[in-house]
Amino acid sequence: MMTQPLVSVRDLKKHFTMGGPLFAPKPVLRAVDGVDLDIRRGETLGLVGESGCGKSTLARTLIRLYEPTTGSMVFDGQDVAHLSERDLVPFRRRVQMIFQDPYASLNGRMTVRDLIAEPLEIARIGTPESRTAKVHELLARVGLHADHANRFAHEFSGGQRQRIGIARAIALEPDLVICDEPISALDVSVQAQVVNMLEDLQDQLGLTYLFITHDLSMVRHISDRIGVMYLGKIVELASNTDLYARPSHPYTQALLASIPVPDPTATRPADPVRGEIPSAMAVPSGCRFRTRCPMATELCASSEPALRDIGGGHLAACHYAGEAAP
Amino acid sequence: MTAATMGTPILSVRDLATSFFSQRGEVQAVRGVSFDVHPGEILGIVGESGSGKSITCMSVLRLLKATGRIKSGSALFDGQDLLALDEADLRDIRGNKIGMIFQDPMTSLNPTLTVGEQVIETILRHRQATRSEARARAIELFELVRIPSAAARLKSYPHEFSGGMRQRVMIAIALACDPKLLIADEPTTALDVTIQRQILGLLRDLQARLGMAVILITHDLGVIAEVTDRIVVMYGGLVMETGPVRDLFARPMHPYTRGLLASVPDLRDDSHKRLTPIPGSPPDMAHPPAGCPFTARCPHAMRQCAAALPPLFGDSHAARCWLHHAEAPRIAGINEVAA
Ligand SMILES: Nc1ncnc2c1ncn2[C@@H]1O[C@H](COP(=O)(O)OP(=O)(O)OP(=O)(O)O)[C@@H](O)[C@H]1O
Ligand SMILES: Nc1ncnc2c1ncn2[C@@H]1O[C@H](COP(=O)(O)OP(=O)(O)O)[C@@H](O)[C@H]1O
Ligand code: SF4
Ligand code: SF4
Ligand SMILES: [Mg+2]
Ligand SMILES: [Mg+2]
Repeated sequence: MMTQPLVSVRDLKKHFTMGGPLFAPKPVLRAVDGVDLDIRRGETLGLVGESGCGKSTLARTLIRLYEPTTGSMVFDGQDVAHLSERDLVPFRRRVQMIFQDPYASLNGRMTVRDLIAEPLEIARIGTPESRTAKVHELLARVGLHADHANRFAHEFSGGQRQRIGIARAIALEPDLVICDEPISALDVSVQAQVVNMLEDLQDQLGLTYLFITHDLSMVRHISDRIGVMYLGKIVELASNTDLYARPSHPYTQALLASIPVPDPTATRPADPVRGEIPSAMAVPSGCRFRTRCPMATELCASSEPALRDIGGGHLAACHYAGEAAP
Repeated sequence: MTAATMGTPILSVRDLATSFFSQRGEVQAVRGVSFDVHPGEILGIVGESGSGKSITCMSVLRLLKATGRIKSGSALFDGQDLLALDEADLRDIRGNKIGMIFQDPMTSLNPTLTVGEQVIETILRHRQATRSEARARAIELFELVRIPSAAARLKSYPHEFSGGMRQRVMIAIALACDPKLLIADEPTTALDVTIQRQILGLLRDLQARLGMAVILITHDLGVIAEVTDRIVVMYGGLVMETGPVRDLFARPMHPYTRGLLASVPDLRDDSHKRLTPIPGSPPDMAHPPAGCPFTARCPHAMRQCAAALPPLFGDSHAARCWLHHAEAPRIAGINEVAA
């Protein structure tokens, strides 16, 4: 029997109602617009997509910072999509988030000790002494020193602040850690330090990661499987090897062809995709990629392709995925 | 094209030093930077955040905030030292002979004016033209940067454009007066890869067609490899290595450049092989180290490195590292070239 996924999301939507003229229907921004996604225990699931495609909104919905508009969200057997704040308490301990901006996401007036102990205090775990001991253990895990505990976050470099954020996120020994662009604010020379550390922590603590990024080289390095998001939906999902070897959705193909490679002798295709990303307030009918898709047909304007298995667990939402070009 | 065949540079920066002064004391952002840009070439400036890339260019254009001061150096552009010109002459060069694009197009565009008015205003400021001539030129520029329905889009406000479109508008404004030099500071950092690809292709295409020189600042080694002819690698307010792009990627001479190239994952490799980061973090420019600024992170540091700042060793491809001194030990791949 296949073990159940840790997270199983079906047709998840998070829509935002925007302001507009008084006597007109309120415009709706479809930030997350029908996501199907399973996250397996112990894996790193990478999530890539252009800015504004809904990655962070999906992450915030998955940790129930937002209540979904519709859809189901099963975490370890329990649907948490519409649970009340009180019933969410156990869930909140088991799912944590690491944010993009290590400058903005930590309170500069708190010491490192207090920042890392805060989740333990809120969850009423341990005594002040045992919490301090735990903080020292966590600091060691993320490669900081015990004597850093009494300093303030603003005294640290970006890479060190991100380590503090990670220590805070793993304090409650969560099952799932959602990493929302955890390295994109860091210097190139420091990014690899943080990625290696995240990989070590996963091995030591058996963590499951949802790793959101726009860095297509890093996501390949760190992920077991990768989901590609476009305008609020997952349009392709496959193992990292499969995705890069056989990208099957035209958007994924364009995305991979656009990656700048640090090799001046590499040959590069011309603009792989034309046009601009449509607004999430005016999602095209049928296939949402059709306004930029080089292979769009009439069918694509009238009928929305479902995310389907095109073989070996490789999922793609394109009418023609898995076939020769139409 | 090699340095020798390129003739007179369009911009020649020598020994530029710029500091900021605050209660914290002096922050030595740029500490003696020299480089040339030749007509028709794209020069890449790469380095991590805080290494002095932007302040170098802001100094050349004399656009520093009030707390910043150029301490020494010269910047010869078209035979004139920009650092010695009076403000009125400089204003005539900025936005005219030198175009500029910055990372965040939203903060550089005026949100209360239509994009068309902003392009037309730039043209009228520097050129003898009637309003309708300027408008015709604006349409031409929008077509040049491939904004669809150019004439209609002149009437749009910046917030009505996507990030990629706004960056096209910025490029159109920067090109309005046929600049000889375009300075682009992280022009695609805020954009997505598919849009980044479009903008980089556009820049390269325009550079070839209009024959201008471009300085492209970025921290992305992929972007550097993709579009530039020559590179300047900055670290701790200094040029650490400079050379033709292919040479520099094939044979990096500086331990920092090597570390940088080794720390990015190889896109062609899905083996989950551990990454090789550079340990530590960049120096604090309020207290820059006396010797080589990379000493604390360098796997090859010697006693000499902390004692004295190395000069640039080499010619068209050069590195600021003591390993290239005749008496230094041989290190495979750095100063010992495989037979
Ligand atoms: N207004 C300022 N006041 C004080 N120090 C400053 C100021 N602006 C820049 N600096 C300092 O100057 C140094 C170089 O900054 P600069 O902005 O050129 O770096 P950069 O390479 O462009 O970095 P980034 O990629 O983050 O933009 C840094 O140490 C920075 O902290
Ligand atoms: N609280 C909010 N109210 C209105 N719109 C929002 C809100 N949060 C996000 N959005 C919009 O939802 C879309 C997806 O945003 P986001 O998930 O942050 O994108 P990403 O993280 O992929 O860059 C964007 O168009 C964004 O402007
Ligand atoms: S369904 Fe049609 S428009 Fe959508 S990606 Fe496939 S071919 Fe392109
Ligand atoms: S000068 Fe010394 S410390 Fe600096 S890069 Fe060269 S070997 Fe390393
Ligand atoms: Mg985001
Ligand atoms: Mg900068």
